[in-house]
Amino acid sequence: MAAAASHAIDALSTKLGKRWESIDASIERAVAEQAKIASILYATALVPSDVSFVVFGSLARREWTIGSDVDWSLMIDGQADPGHLRIAQTISSHLMEAKLQSPGPTQTFGSLAFSHDIIHQIGGDADTNRNTTQRILLLLESWPIGNADAYDRVVKAVLNRYLDNDISFLSHSGQQYKVPRFLLNDIVRYWRTMCVDYANKFRERRGEKWAIRNAKLRLSRKLIFAAGLLTCFSCYLKPPMGDANLFDLPNHIEPLLAHIRTYVRMTPLEILADAAFAFAKPETAALLFDSYDRFLAMINDGEKRKQLSDMKAKEAQSSPLFREVRDISANFQKGLTHLFFDDHPKLTELTREYGVF
Amino acid sequence: MNLIGFSTGAVAFGDFKRALALLANMPVNSVELSALRLPELNPLIEDLDNLDLRQFRYVSFHAPSRFTSEQEPGIVAALQRVAERGWPIILHPDAIIDRDCWKPLARSICFENMDKRKPIGRTCHDLEQLFDRFPDARLCLDVGHAHQVDRTMTEARLMAQQFHDRIMQIHVSEVNTRSEHVHISAALEFAFAKIVDLLPDNAPLIIESVVPETQLSKEFERARRMFTDNSRWALATD
Repeated sequence: MAAAASHAIDALSTKLGKRWESIDASIERAVAEQAKIASILYATALVPSDVSFVVFGSLARREWTIGSDVDWSLMIDGQADPGHLRIAQTISSHLMEAKLQSPGPTQTFGSLAFSHDIIHQIGGDADTNRNTTQRILLLLESWPIGNADAYDRVVKAVLNRYLDNDISFLSHSGQQYKVPRFLLNDIVRYWRTMCVDYANKFRERRGEKWAIRNAKLRLSRKLIFAAGLLTCFSCYLKPPMGDANLFDLPNHIEPLLAHIRTYVRMTPLEILADAAFAFAKPETAALLFDSYDRFLAMINDGEKRKQLSDMKAKEAQSSPLFREVRDISANFQKGLTHLFFDDHPKLTELTREYGVF
Repeated sequence: MNLIGFSTGAVAFGDFKRALALLANMPVNSVELSALRLPELNPLIEDLDNLDLRQFRYVSFHAPSRFTSEQEPGIVAALQRVAERGWPIILHPDAIIDRDCWKPLARSICFENMDKRKPIGRTCHDLEQLFDRFPDARLCLDVGHAHQVDRTMTEARLMAQQFHDRIMQIHVSEVNTRSEHVHISAALEFAFAKIVDLLPDNAPLIIESVVPETQLSKEFERARRMFTDNSRWALATD
């Protein structure tokens, strides 16, 4: 197992007696990239104290492969300052000098994120696609580099919003947390939004980069959705307070908030490994991680990645490479279906109860 | 700008001897002896004759920031020993309870502009009123406080313009939204670039950033660079 591999993946690997070399290698590369960025930020002292530099995407998921982008944002939890944009631009220049790629065309990242919008605008007309994306990805695939104070405050405040405005996440007996439905619904909404946006991007961009987008939707995007569901389900499946009477606590939100924060600090693969270790049959766990390992190996192959990036939708039908994508993603889906619907009665019950309606 | 140093309170909290020992190994030529907390005052005053301050071309003294009306006359009396040395006494304007009590120190007082928690001393207008009452007082321009109060630095520019001749020294650190003095980042450098042209060349720079001992040299370099090389933010306009 690679030195940087996570505890959860390591534990699953040991349990199954298997190694996933591409997963290990992508973690190693991500940790190295994160350290590189940390040293740039430290040397330049560009990030003010009320701001955190936060990465998203493959770097946050620790799935760094050839051609991965550094998706980043300055999380501002303090006074508005006209200088923030200039600082973001300067950081961008430093990252480009260091041969780290610039952000993508949607500009969700690589710019500024303000805590007020993320915390207050949950739902309603002001909750734009961009705001929803920033908020959900903050919870599901983000990683602060350098001073994490602002990041931690915002994560805590967002989770507090979800829990404080959810009137029924305690069971009637007060013995157990239920699944936080407000948070769950927002995660489900985000996943559906991603799927709809995928179709919209296909239309707007005339099929450009269709195959690579499709592969990511089937695998990495689906992974973060699964990790989000498992985070919410863990509140019931792995209750943070054991048998305590939660109604007796001075602040019954606090233990649950702390519990979810530990999941926010895990990568989606770690969350999946944690759940697979506890609730999946060995063959299901192997199916999930073998397929994801194949996916990372594929997109870390420069030639294959380029082929996928250049491939149009109509070419995909006859492409052996895209057949491989389909095969990998079908196995991954099969693994998820077994995990959520078949392998463990409690997880099956939760999926039936909360998964659709 | 060739006078630069640290506040002892920032270098070693509540331990001026330790702070001076650390500064002895650095190329600093200025120091602010800090008795920001009242219990620090008498031990520091009593030890003044024993301190080795030969490396410093500029020394100032920070008065306590909070005390009662009963304690006020004693504090002023103790600070007389500082004034006799000709050292500026840095004072928070909101600390004063009885204005008359401070008259004997009027020519040594150097008011510091305040952060957003304080009711007075935050803006140019506040300082105007203050200097009307203390016409001989001077100004310690705290750039971090000014930046916290007004991120556009408009107030800081007004202060630097209007009170240019009163500026005795400059406090430098970043001040976060919790009013803590933290390390200098690009945000403060960027802000500083907007006022550096208005600052007196000979005003000593006192660093107040609270950073680990291992980062004192780096913080010193950052502060020095703010004055000597603003090319990084030369085109900084909003």
